[in-house]
Amino acid sequence: MPRRSLSALQPAFPLLALGGRLQTPTRPLRSALLAMHHPLGASTGYMDFSRGDWAGMVERAVAVSTFAAELSALGEDELPGLVAFLEGTPRLPFHYLSVHAPTKRRRLPELQLVALLDRLPAIVDAIVVHPDQITAPEGWLALGRRLVIENMDPRKTLGQLPEHLAPLFAALPDAGFCLDVAHAGAIDEDMDVAHRLLDAFGARLRQLHVSSLRAGRGSHVSLYRKDEARFARVLARCPDVPWILEAPPPRR
Amino acid sequence: MDPGSAAASPLSALGAAGGVGFPALHAARARTAERCDGARAALAGMPRDGDVAVVLLGSWGRGELTSGSDDDVLVVTTGARRPGLRPAVHELAPAFARASGGQGTFDDVVTVEELATIGLQEDSNRVLTRRMLVLLESAPLLGADVHRRVLARLLDAYLGGERRDRRPPRFLLNDVVRYWRTVAVDFEAKARAGDDGKWALRHAKLRTSRTMLFAGGLLPLLECHHVTADDAPALLLSELLQPPTDRIAAAFLRYEAVDAGVRTLSAYDRFLALLDDPERRATLEALPRARAREDPTFQECRRLGREIQQGLTALLFEREPLRRLVRQYGVF
Repeated sequence: MPRRSLSALQPAFPLLALGGRLQTPTRPLRSALLAMHHPLGASTGYMDFSRGDWAGMVERAVAVSTFAAELSALGEDELPGLVAFLEGTPRLPFHYLSVHAPTKRRRLPELQLVALLDRLPAIVDAIVVHPDQITAPEGWLALGRRLVIENMDPRKTLGQLPEHLAPLFAALPDAGFCLDVAHAGAIDEDMDVAHRLLDAFGARLRQLHVSSLRAGRGSHVSLYRKDEARFARVLARCPDVPWILEAPPPRR
Repeated sequence: MDPGSAAASPLSALGAAGGVGFPALHAARARTAERCDGARAALAGMPRDGDVAVVLLGSWGRGELTSGSDDDVLVVTTGARRPGLRPAVHELAPAFARASGGQGTFDDVVTVEELATIGLQEDSNRVLTRRMLVLLESAPLLGADVHRRVLARLLDAYLGGERRDRRPPRFLLNDVVRYWRTVAVDFEAKARAGDDGKWALRHAKLRTSRTMLFAGGLLPLLECHHVTADDAPALLLSELLQPPTDRIAAAFLRYEAVDAGVRTLSAYDRFLALLDDPERRATLEALPRARAREDPTFQECRRLGREIQQGLTALLFEREPLRRLVRQYGVF
């Protein structure tokens, strides 16, 4: 009996791109762990080639998943354009939509930044903020439950450990938590910090950032196979929240 | 079990395991228990026929009374409909202050045999709704023994013809799914028919309370996978005598999904707190569909509903054997 070539077969489920058709021209997910998770989404933060083209970046995020996405305005100069894009009420398919607040090229005073973030339309479910951007927590109360605080990697002086974040959450009782799994994994190989963060703030958990980190540089890269195994127990504690990919879906 | 009872409940156990308190849910249970005591005191000495139960439904039945909850009560008899049945509905007035939803579902007398009319033309939307609410979210105000017999009779009506060991009972499963889909379809049908009143509140409840009720009915049925056909009625009866939130909390504990369970019940806890805030409830009651997209209270409810759905989906689709059971029985 003649054997069919692999290319003639319908892709197995883990090869499925969640936002496109089976024979999608976009990059499929080849990590079973990621492909099996629901809801999964892409961050536009890794789409450097399209910076400022929000409609184009949304289209690329949709190709990864129609269920969740994070629109990333890491540079403060990107935020007004994002606010304007969303105020134009684009037709977005996502069930969960977060915005990553600026961490670079900061010029606005803190309260003005909060006011600009607060202008984000109500369809934005979460506004992810690095803890080092919050110097006067009371000013951030205006964001209510949409404010989501992310744990940091070892390059930052604070924000990595539960004891660093606890005072912020005490001052911002409605704020949610975004566990950046790679950041926590960069602190200890055994992922003990990630488990401690979940023990402390798991009830507030709204989303994950999932990626690996480039050795020595801290930039986000596609999830390595070895990290997939290392992160598995942490990810298993978070089956219900969106996992946002901060780098392109793995090709392996 | 009294709908307000919180002692040693699965909900408390889940909260303890996750280090959270579910304050709104426990406050609602305490309020329900207190109001039940008050209602019983108001009806003290009221004659009651031996085959009659006064059954609480809705937020009363779930042990989730908030400040704006309606009084949803049904007089159920295991006997025949007859003149002079006691207590008559109007005799319950001293115990209840608020009118119910006004759709003819509540504040009425019904026989268990009427409720046990399952399927075909006589099983109207009204009968289906009453039967499902009695099964899934009822608690006795008076006549706990009769209420238990009512549940047992309804279960027997479904399970009587099914004798398959270690299988969720299809007849009941299909009817629970039918009820959930009916609620969802009727929600949209009402809106399309121009009945836009309280659209936002109904939408919020559909995504929270109704979703929890469906999951709270589905999970015990899937548990029948673990027992023989002979043991299924007792299993289901003991489950259905608990509030839906306890059934769901127990499932999260049983299938070692404490983290997701804490987030799911925390989201529901927040929703109850929001409903208990008269100002925010009034906002939802008055909000037309056209303005919902921009309204922060509505959007908060939408987010809480999504979190509840995500948690229940994770439980049903990412925990064994639930994942296989849903795959086997959940769609076809």
